[in-house]
Amino acid sequence: MKLIPTASQTIGPFFSIGLAKLQQNTEASIASWPNGATLQGVVSDGDGNPIPDGVLEFFANNYFARVPTDAAGRFQVIVAPSVTCYEVLVFMRGLLLPALTRVYLEESAAKSDLALAAVPKERIPTLLAHATSTPRQFHWNVKMQGEDETVFFET
Amino acid sequence: MSSQSNARNSLRNTQPPYLHPAYVSTQKRAPLKPLILLPENLSHASGPVFGHETVQASDADLTRQHSGEPLGERILVSGRVLDEEGRPVRGALIELWQANAAGRYRHDLDNHAAPLDPNFTGCGRVLTDDQGAYSFVSIKPGAYPWRNHENGWRPAHIHFSLFGAGILSRLVTQMYFPGDPLFARDPIFNSIPDEAARARLISVFDWQTTKAEYALGYRFDIVLRGEKSTPMETSHP
Repeated sequence: MKLIPTASQTIGPFFSIGLAKLQQNTEASIASWPNGATLQGVVSDGDGNPIPDGVLEFFANNYFARVPTDAAGRFQVIVAPSVTCYEVLVFMRGLLLPALTRVYLEESAAKSDLALAAVPKERIPTLLAHATSTPRQFHWNVKMQGEDETVFFET
Repeated sequence: MSSQSNARNSLRNTQPPYLHPAYVSTQKRAPLKPLILLPENLSHASGPVFGHETVQASDADLTRQHSGEPLGERILVSGRVLDEEGRPVRGALIELWQANAAGRYRHDLDNHAAPLDPNFTGCGRVLTDDQGAYSFVSIKPGAYPWRNHENGWRPAHIHFSLFGAGILSRLVTQMYFPGDPLFARDPIFNSIPDEAARARLISVFDWQTTKAEYALGYRFDIVLRGEKSTPMETSHP
């Protein structure tokens, strides 16, 4: 007889009280990790409004980073450029359970990933980060709803 | 319907949906397009082991983080963290946050007209031991109002964030207190369709752990998903 997993609840608006200690210090990361890449973007809701009270967690093997969104819905995280795909958990007030997505720093990595076989072709671009004109700086937005809603996965 | 899909459906009802219109913030934030099922043999990122370097024993006593003691009813919350097979989850990091006894969070955006307590931050951290057990000391949080609906009040709760073996075992939840009259009208608590699953978020008052002349004991056991459990189906409008 298996036990039933405990139900999820929202992090609510005041999560920083409890979650700030594990947040990545991006300034320190840039200084201590000069080969790191910067990934930044905006998290927005179904009306296109920025979400100022979200927090994202990036996972790769032996890598973890937690970063909140700011008043303009922006996040910034320092990642390893050698890792081309991160799993991302999105938390916010209004999400009763985390939303799981992925971000690919290279389009070729997404196109060759069998894990994405079930993703409709036209939605794959929502999982791709774009290189900016600044070296090792990438941009990726998270849209909770809308025509170009980010692909979220079953958890 | 096969017995397997019956089992999935009954399991699905033990978790909230993304879209729960009575909780108004879900309406513009819940994903609406179909979720994509990843291949079952996909190994998810395991991440590092978290926080062991920085968690101190004093992080588990929220009443001793300032020069004086916080006002309120002192409580001792304890329980076990298990996986779906009933095995203890050892060394799991639990992060906690809560309002003070007056129902006020120490947060810039909390404008509830209740007093802050200079002796209470409301932040705790604790690791599970070899039996998966944890305990921490705090004060009972107060209920607080919110503007989700007319005369809305959240039942008293403590936020829990847990890391298990990997990304699928990640859990953020809320622990409630027995007998709270606010349950019936709380859309967050009631977002979970299954009554028994809701009830499991309510801690149990416990004489065994109640400390004479010191603190009331509450028990709250937690079950984390394993990494290889069957993915849950989630319905969408």
